[in-house]
Amino acid sequence: MTTASSPPLYRARGITKVYFPGEEMEVRALDGVDLDLHEGELAVLLGASGSGKSTLLNILGGLDVPTGGTLFYRDRDLTDADERDLTLFRRDVAGFVFQFYNLIPSLTARENVALITEIAPNPMPPEEALGLVGLADRMDAFPSQLSGGQQQRVAVARAIAKRPEVLLCDEPTGALDVNTGITVLEALERVNRELGTLVVLITHNAAIAAMADRVISLSAGRIVSVAPNATRVPARSLSW
Amino acid sequence: MLDLKLLRDLRNMKGQMTAVVLVMACGLTMMIMARGLVVTLETTERNYYTSSRFADLFCDLKRAPRFVETRLGEISGVAALETSVKGTVVLDLPGMKQPADGVIHSLPDGRPRRLNRLVLKAGRLPGTDSRDEVVVSAGFADAHGFRPGDPLDFTVYGVRRRFRIVGVAVSPEYVYETRPGEMLPDPRRFAVLWMGERELSRALDLDGAFNSVAFRLAPGADPENIKAAVDRILEPYGGLSSYGRTRHPSAKLLRDEITQLRGFSIAFPAVFLSIAAFMVSAVLTRLVRLQREQIAQMKAFGYSPFAVGFHYVKFALVAVGVATLLSATLGMWAGSAFVSLYRRFFQFPSLQFVPDWRALAAALGASALTSVLGVLGAVRQAASLPPAEAMRPEAPARFTPTFLERIGLHGLVPPSFRMALRNMERKPWQALFTAVGLAFATAIPILPGVMGDGVDYLVDFQWNRAQRQDAVVSLIEPGDNGAFLSLSRLPGVLFAEPFRAVPVRLLHGHRQWETAITGLPASPRLNRLLDEREREVPLPSFGLLLSEKLAELLHLVPGDEVRVEVREGRRPVLHTVVSGTIMDFSGVSAYMEIDALRRLLGEGDTVNGAYLKVDPFYWDAFWKRVKGIPRIGTVTTTSGAKENFSRTTEEMMGTSQALYFVFAVIVSFGVIYNGARIALSERARDLATLRVLGFTRREVATILVLELALLTALSIAPGLYLGARLSEAVLATANTETMRFPLVLTTRTYVVAVLTVLASSFFSFAVVGRRVARLDLQAVLKSAE
Ligand SMILES: Nc1ncnc2c1ncn2[C@@H]1O[C@H](COP(=O)(O)OP(=O)(O)O)[C@@H](O)[C@H]1O
Ligand SMILES: [Mg+2]
Repeated sequence: MTTASSPPLYRARGITKVYFPGEEMEVRALDGVDLDLHEGELAVLLGASGSGKSTLLNILGGLDVPTGGTLFYRDRDLTDADERDLTLFRRDVAGFVFQFYNLIPSLTARENVALITEIAPNPMPPEEALGLVGLADRMDAFPSQLSGGQQQRVAVARAIAKRPEVLLCDEPTGALDVNTGITVLEALERVNRELGTLVVLITHNAAIAAMADRVISLSAGRIVSVAPNATRVPARSLSW
Repeated sequence: MLDLKLLRDLRNMKGQMTAVVLVMACGLTMMIMARGLVVTLETTERNYYTSSRFADLFCDLKRAPRFVETRLGEISGVAALETSVKGTVVLDLPGMKQPADGVIHSLPDGRPRRLNRLVLKAGRLPGTDSRDEVVVSAGFADAHGFRPGDPLDFTVYGVRRRFRIVGVAVSPEYVYETRPGEMLPDPRRFAVLWMGERELSRALDLDGAFNSVAFRLAPGADPENIKAAVDRILEPYGGLSSYGRTRHPSAKLLRDEITQLRGFSIAFPAVFLSIAAFMVSAVLTRLVRLQREQIAQMKAFGYSPFAVGFHYVKFALVAVGVATLLSATLGMWAGSAFVSLYRRFFQFPSLQFVPDWRALAAALGASALTSVLGVLGAVRQAASLPPAEAMRPEAPARFTPTFLERIGLHGLVPPSFRMALRNMERKPWQALFTAVGLAFATAIPILPGVMGDGVDYLVDFQWNRAQRQDAVVSLIEPGDNGAFLSLSRLPGVLFAEPFRAVPVRLLHGHRQWETAITGLPASPRLNRLLDEREREVPLPSFGLLLSEKLAELLHLVPGDEVRVEVREGRRPVLHTVVSGTIMDFSGVSAYMEIDALRRLLGEGDTVNGAYLKVDPFYWDAFWKRVKGIPRIGTVTTTSGAKENFSRTTEEMMGTSQALYFVFAVIVSFGVIYNGARIALSERARDLATLRVLGFTRREVATILVLELALLTALSIAPGLYLGARLSEAVLATANTETMRFPLVLTTRTYVVAVLTVLASSFFSFAVVGRRVARLDLQAVLKSAE
């Protein structure tokens, strides 16, 4: 459902990320990436380990800034935003889901979500967010009482409760088995569909790519292909 | 290889290690200083008493002919004795309007003293057949800059003469050089003098007689038997009770000081060292938990569990080692500083700081042991992990709703607060330990405040509320009402109050106490007696009022009967009752209504002197007249006593107070900073996650310190209470019949303690808060817990 007509949310032009520039061990994690990402889209970033997926996602999410090139989110210049601007961007615009869930162990599912909705300008109630990921009945459980897949769905609920415009997920199923992985992907799919959130999903698992609108492949810090899928395969039907 | 890792880890933990080392160094410094002072004073005392042949038993009497000496020497158990004459003098000193007073002792002609030998600091002893030659005490000579060759004018037994100083000396009888009955040296206005025996006996009208005797007892002799024999022999010659070193004014005050120091040298370092041990163990337990994987690898590489365990114990040993180096230097320095203060109180031939190496070794051992024990648990756990298991992350922490939430206060607190509460509830011991540390951090700054306020209160109580006289005049020999009237007619005297002082022995059961009963008018207007709430206590027409401390020493309560053996005149033995107690802070006394006392003694209108209120415009005339009246023995002024007290005590107090305060600040900062650093390392992952999710640095820092701030807030009240009890305990160790300090807890003290803790917290939080900025946001996303 690419709305190519409307202006993209993200416009990245020639972005590079170089670690240890000038030194012997210089690493070009990103090496000239051009990319547009659109509202309501579900994009999968595919690539081998070390190809620069996380680096790109972190820059899109305002966790880092590129060394070169330009990056705009709508009218916001993220190219060399300062620490304050980046924090505000993460707070108001982007939602994150990580490979290792990163829940606060001392808070229940509901509280983990509430912690974020408290600082968001236009949040949904934590209960609603947990309902969307199918955890309405586990709201008062602590992370240690939940399975990995359930914990990851709490992380999704936490990310979407503030109604972000983009949801950035770095290998959300990386630590999960197939079946629990699929429940998490279903939750992401639903968020994308029902809330119209731009979802960017990193994986090195090609099977997952079938659920995307577009599959962006990286290798050695460059985009090697952008492949639109004719139809999105529902997450439920995936297997690997 | 492991040692390289040790160095690198130490560098990463330098903030925390510094905090631990500083707190430990505080304890050790205090220990080295205080134990060193104890050893210094004790060794110096012992050596001095031995080399100068300080006597074991003393007795003063009115007058006994020489031949009595032979009888005293025949008492079995007496190894040596020395008779002498002594008297009081009034000195007219250049540049001083007010006369000084002193004690003069005889020195045997033509031979050295057998007991209580002088140690000359300058000049020589009087020559045989010398005339007008005196030796003066070092304290007095220093206060006035006197040197051998200087002239000295004084009045002995009513005759004023000019003498020549031939020597400056110290005596084991005057290590603590105070006026009889007083608690502080007053070297400007009190002198000890020595003179040839022949010349002095003549001046005192004691030719062929003695009025003072000192004994050295044979090893194993029973002092009580000898005392009884001495008292029996000297009774007909006006003997007062003989006394041992425990009641010798100088020896006793020196002992009291050592006792106080000894208590202090154990209690305080113990508190500091336990806090330090607790901090070391907290830091290292945390380190071991963070390094589970490394421990597993070390073991996988073939390091034995013992080697791994020892590796972590080394952290504790490094801390102890650095703290020792630091505190040895500081302790020696502080000890030497105190020794130079002590030189003003104690007149020894020489006084040099001697460190107590054995105590240092013991302290070292103790702190090494406690630290090692503190980490041993964590280390054993780490070293015993099978390598494979340690490679896996620790199981996720389990949390449950807190008690507060279970009882329904659920909705009241925001999630950030709940995180703090649940962290505390999940690790109650850790929270408790931190709270205890924080309570101590609040308690310790209370001590210097209490010390200062106690002294202020004492000065105010003694000299503004109780004693309202400007001067106390004592007569050399008791006089009658005529003598009192002549004192009350001295120039400028606005009001005079007579007093009678009778040396007595008070007995209750098997307990007894040598003191004097002071007779005062029923409601004294000048020398007022007050209770602990500063209310005037009138003297009853019958019975005694005792210092609370004296009542405690004799196990007497109001209403008890007490036996009074009068030690002068006809020496009657009387019975009276204790009517009440009064509050005072130095020495112990007994009081009786003056006419009741006279009736009891069967005498008329005898006085020993008077308390005077003097018009300040007439001081010059007053002193001029006083100097011309030979019957007047000593005149002390309240302003002089007060000034002397403030000068001597405040310097000592000021130094200890400053020292304490620095230590208190170090402890409170150390504990809080350390707590904050541990919280940061334990929760770095959560905090970084929150930063990723869009929390600002400030919000994250707030969440980080919330738990500590809560603990700090909770610890303040118990900390203040602990501080009050701690101060009470310290003052109790300083509670002797010589000196007592009132426990005065002012709002200011509490406020200062709270501010110290808050400032330390604020500073620690600021330092740790800055580290929130350095959290690695991307790293937390890449790794599992
Ligand atoms: N903080 C960093 N410092 C140095 N090099 C880094 C850092 N983060 C990533 N890299 C390097 O950049 C490259 C891309 O890494 P990353 O984006 O994490 O790859 P991917 O997520 O595709 O596995 C890798 O070679 C990695 O080692
Ligand atoms: Mg990655």
